[in-house]
Amino acid sequence: MSVRTRWWQRSIGGRIVLLSLGLLLTVQLASFVALRTSLSEHAHRVLPNQLKAGERVLQNLLDRRAQTLISGARLLAADYGFREAVSSNDTETIVSVLANHGARIGATETALLASDFRLRASTDPEPHSLLPLVERLAAQAAESGQASALALRSGQPYQAVLVPVKAPVVVGWVLMAFPLDQQLATDLKSLSALDLTLISRPARREPWAVNLTSLDAARAASLAGQPWSDRRDDAAMTSVGVLGEEFGVRDTTLRLGHESDGGASARALLSLSVDEAVRLPHDLLLALIAITLVAIVVFALGSVFTARRVTTPLRSLADAAERLGGGDYATPMTGMQRHDEIGELSQSFERMRHSIAANQAQIMRLAYWDTLTGLPNRARFRDNVHRAIGEVQAGDAVVVIMLDLNRFKHVNDALGYHIGDLLLVAVGERLTRQVMRDGDVVARLSGDEFAVLLRSGDAALALSVAERIEESFAAPFVLEEQPVDIGAAIGVACWPLHADDGDALLNRAEVAMYAAKNRGNGPQLYDPSIELASARTLTLMTELRHAVDACELRLYLQPKLALETGKLIGAEALLRWQHPERGMVPPSHFIPFAEQTGFIHTLTLWVLEEAARHWHVLNDGGLPLPLSINLSTRDLLDQNLPQKFEALLARRKVAASAFCLEITESAMMDEPQRALATLDRLSAMGFKLSIDDFGTGYSSLAYLKRLPVSELKIDQSFVRNMQTDADDAMIVRSTIDLAHNLGITVVAEGVENGQVWNMLRELDCDHAQGFHMGRPMPVSELATWSTRWASARRATALDSALLH
Amino acid sequence: MLRRLCWFVLVAGLALGGASAPAATVSVQVADRAGKPLADAVVMLVPVSGHLPVKPMTGVEIAQSHRQFSPRVTVVTVGTSIAFPNLDTVRHHVYSFSPVKSFELKLYAGVPATPIVFDKAGIATLGCNIHDAMVAWVVVVDTPLVARSAAGGKAQIDAVPAGDYELRVWHSELTEPSAAMSTPLVVAGVDVQTRASLATVGSRK
Repeated sequence: MSVRTRWWQRSIGGRIVLLSLGLLLTVQLASFVALRTSLSEHAHRVLPNQLKAGERVLQNLLDRRAQTLISGARLLAADYGFREAVSSNDTETIVSVLANHGARIGATETALLASDFRLRASTDPEPHSLLPLVERLAAQAAESGQASALALRSGQPYQAVLVPVKAPVVVGWVLMAFPLDQQLATDLKSLSALDLTLISRPARREPWAVNLTSLDAARAASLAGQPWSDRRDDAAMTSVGVLGEEFGVRDTTLRLGHESDGGASARALLSLSVDEAVRLPHDLLLALIAITLVAIVVFALGSVFTARRVTTPLRSLADAAERLGGGDYATPMTGMQRHDEIGELSQSFERMRHSIAANQAQIMRLAYWDTLTGLPNRARFRDNVHRAIGEVQAGDAVVVIMLDLNRFKHVNDALGYHIGDLLLVAVGERLTRQVMRDGDVVARLSGDEFAVLLRSGDAALALSVAERIEESFAAPFVLEEQPVDIGAAIGVACWPLHADDGDALLNRAEVAMYAAKNRGNGPQLYDPSIELASARTLTLMTELRHAVDACELRLYLQPKLALETGKLIGAEALLRWQHPERGMVPPSHFIPFAEQTGFIHTLTLWVLEEAARHWHVLNDGGLPLPLSINLSTRDLLDQNLPQKFEALLARRKVAASAFCLEITESAMMDEPQRALATLDRLSAMGFKLSIDDFGTGYSSLAYLKRLPVSELKIDQSFVRNMQTDADDAMIVRSTIDLAHNLGITVVAEGVENGQVWNMLRELDCDHAQGFHMGRPMPVSELATWSTRWASARRATALDSALLH
Repeated sequence: MLRRLCWFVLVAGLALGGASAPAATVSVQVADRAGKPLADAVVMLVPVSGHLPVKPMTGVEIAQSHRQFSPRVTVVTVGTSIAFPNLDTVRHHVYSFSPVKSFELKLYAGVPATPIVFDKAGIATLGCNIHDAMVAWVVVVDTPLVARSAAGGKAQIDAVPAGDYELRVWHSELTEPSAAMSTPLVVAGVDVQTRASLATVGSRK
C-alpha cells in the first residue's frame, strides 16, 4: 500500500476536472471511431455501385467513340467524291480521301475494303497489320451491314468500325479505327472519378500488359500483376492490395471476338482507392480536432468553474469548522442561501454553530454560576476578585467577606434537603439585599459557604457591612411557613491590607471566617495572628503524630468520689502530652485541633488502650475502679467505633462495663441520628454512658430521655460558682433533681473546696470530682493518693464527728 | 465458289435430256437457294461465238416517283437511250458509278434535256446521291434472247436457235448484283427446261 496520494485524490476539484475531461475525450474518441466505421461501411456499400456505374460510363464512352467512328466512316462512305474515286479505282485519290476523313474524327487507321472485304487501300504503311481488325469486323458487317468492335492490333486494343460504301448498292467498306488511348481513361476519370486501367495479353499464358491507365505507372503495373483470369467475374467489387493501399476494382472483359486467336484478351479495370474513400476528409478531420480542442477548453473551464462552485463553499465550511473549533461561535456561516447540498450542509453547520454556542453558554453558566441560587460560583467569584483588584483605583481597597452557615447540616437532616435548598436561596437573597452598590458581588462558593465582594472600601466599611449581614441573620428565615433560625460565621479580609493578590485575599477571608467560627463572637477581620495560630496548629499536627510514636502521651487519672461516703468509686482518664521542649501541653491546645483534623480517632483509641492496661494494673493493686473516657463528636460519627472498641477490649481482656464513656451535649447535636445509633450500640455492648459538661448546651429533656445514659456530669462552671451565685446553685439543684427523677446518677465537676463538697452532699448529688479531692495525676500516683485520701478522709470524718 | 459448283451440277443434269431442233424454247425456273421462286429475274442467252443483232430500244424511261426509281429493274439493249423524268416535287441527283455506264444527272427537276445512252452491255447500278434508299438497275444486253421471270419464277425465251450459249441469270437481290450469274447452255432445237438457283441476299438469311 502506497502512502502517497496522487494529486487528484487530494482535491475534489481535480477529480471533477479529470472526470469530465476523461468523459469528453472518451466520447470524442468514440464518435471518431464510429465515424470511421460508418464511413468505411458506407464506402464498402457505395463503392461497388460506383464501380458498377463506372462500368456503364465506360461502356457509354466506348459506344460514343464507336458512334463517332461510325459517323465519320459513314460520312466518308456517303461522300460522292469518295464514291466516285472508289469507282474510278484511283488509289492515290482514295488514300488521300481516307487520310482526310480519318483525320477529321481522329481515326488513326482508315482503309477501304472491297465489297468482299479485300483490302483495297489504306493510310497505314503496313496495311497487313489491319487484317486482324478486318477479320474481326467482316463477319459482323456482312451480316448486319456495318460493324463496330474492339480488337487487338499489335498488342494494342483498337476500336474499329466498318461501314459499307454504297453506290447505291454496297461497292466496298470503309474501315476506321483508333486505339483506346489515354484520353479514354482521362474522360472516364472526369466523368466517374474512377481510374481506368486497360490491360491485355496476346495469349493466355502471357503476362498482362498495361495499355493505358489513369493511375501512375507503379500502381498500374501492380494492378496488372494481379491474377486476373479470363473467366467472367461477376463480383461487383474485388478488393486488391496495391502498394499497401486497398483498391476496389471492377473487372470487365473487353470482347475481342472469337477465341480462336490464341486467347488474346483485354480487360478494363475500373478502380478506386478504398483507403481514400474511407479516410476522413481533411477538413472534417480538422473540424473534429478543432471541436475537440474547443470542447476541452470549454469543459476544462466549465469543470473548473463547477469544481470551484463545490470546493469554495467546502473550503469556507472547513474554515468555519476551524473557527468553531477555535471557539468563535459568533460568525455566521456563508452559503446558506444556496438550495443545493452545500446549502444544506451550511445550514447544518449553522444549526451546529447555534447549538454549540448554546451548549457553550450552558457550560459557561454551569462553570461560573450556581444553578440553585443563580449566584456566581467560586470560579466566577475568583475571577471577579481578580478583576476587581486589577481595576481598583490606587489607594482604594477590595474587600472579601466570607460566610459559612452554622449547622446547616442540621437543617438538612431535620427539615429535609428541600428546605435546605430553599434556605440557601433565601440566604443568597438576603445577602444580595445587604449589598447595595453596583459592582459588588454575592456568590455561593460551596455547600453552605457564601462570599461577598466589595469593590472599594476599607476595613471599617467591610466590618460594618459584615455586622449588618450578621444582624440580618437575626430574623428567622420563613420557609414554607416554617421559621428557621440560622447563624453564620463571617470572616473579612481586605486587599492590599491583608493580601498581595486575589487568591491570597480569598484565602485570608476564609481563615478569618474559620477563626470567627471557632471564636463564635461575631464577624472576624483577618489578623496575621490567626494565621500564625493556624501555622502553629500545622506544626502541632506533625508533632502530635510524632508524639504517639515517641510515647510522649501520658494518661492521667482524676479521682471520682462518692459524696456520701467519700470513697473512691472511679476515675476519669485524661490525656496529657509531655512535649520534650514545651513541657506539659494542656489538652485545650491540641484536643480541638485533633478533633478538627480527625486525629482524635487515634487519640481516643490510644486512651482506651492505656485505660484498659491501667485498669488491670489498678485491679491487681486492689483498686478495681471503673474508668471514664471522653468521646468526641467525630468518634460518635465513626460507624466502626463500636467494632474497634470491641476488638480492643477483647484483646485487653477487659469488660466493657469497666468503662464509662463521656459525651458532651454538643457532640450529639451535629448529626443526632448517627450519634444516637452509635450510642445505642455502645450501650448494648455494656459501656456505661455519661453526659459531660451538662448545662452548656441546649439539650432538651425529651432528647435526654431518649439517650441510653446512666450518668450526667454537671458543668464545672455551675459548680464552681454555686457557693456565691444563687442561680447557679438553683441550676445545680434542679439538675440533680431532674436526673434523679429520670434515674440518672449525677456527678459534679469542679469541686474546689469543702463547702461545695458539703453543699453537694446536702443536695444529694451522687459523685464529685475536683481539685479539692484530687487533680488529674499519673496512674502510678493514684494508689498513693488513695491511701493518703483515705487517711485524710478519716481524719476529716473524725473532725466532723468531733465537730458535731 | 460453292455457289458456282451448284450451278454447274444442276445445268449439266438438265442438258443430258436435250434433243436437237432448229429453234427451241428455253424455260428457266429461277429460285433462290431456299427454293423460293424469284420473280423479276433477268434471264438471257448470250451466244458463245458470233453475235445476234439487236436494235436500240426507244422510249425507255426510268422515272423517279415517290423517291423511288420506277421501274427498279430496266432491261435495255445496247445503245438504248433512257430518259430520267423526275415526277417528284423534290430534286434528285441520279448517278451511276458502274463501269457499264458512269454518269451523273446533277440535281434536277422535270426531265433532263439529254437522255443517257447505255452503249455497253452490262449492269449499271443507279442511285440518287440525295436519297440513299433509291436504287435502280439497268441491265444492258447485247442479245435479243432475254426474258424476265414471272411471279412463279419462270422465265421463258422462245425461238432460240440451236447453238452454244451462255445462260446468264441476274437478279437485283444477288449478293453481288454488279454481274450476272452465267453458265454455258447448249441449245439444239429442243426445248430446254432448266433451273437457276441464285444466291440472293434474302435466301442467305
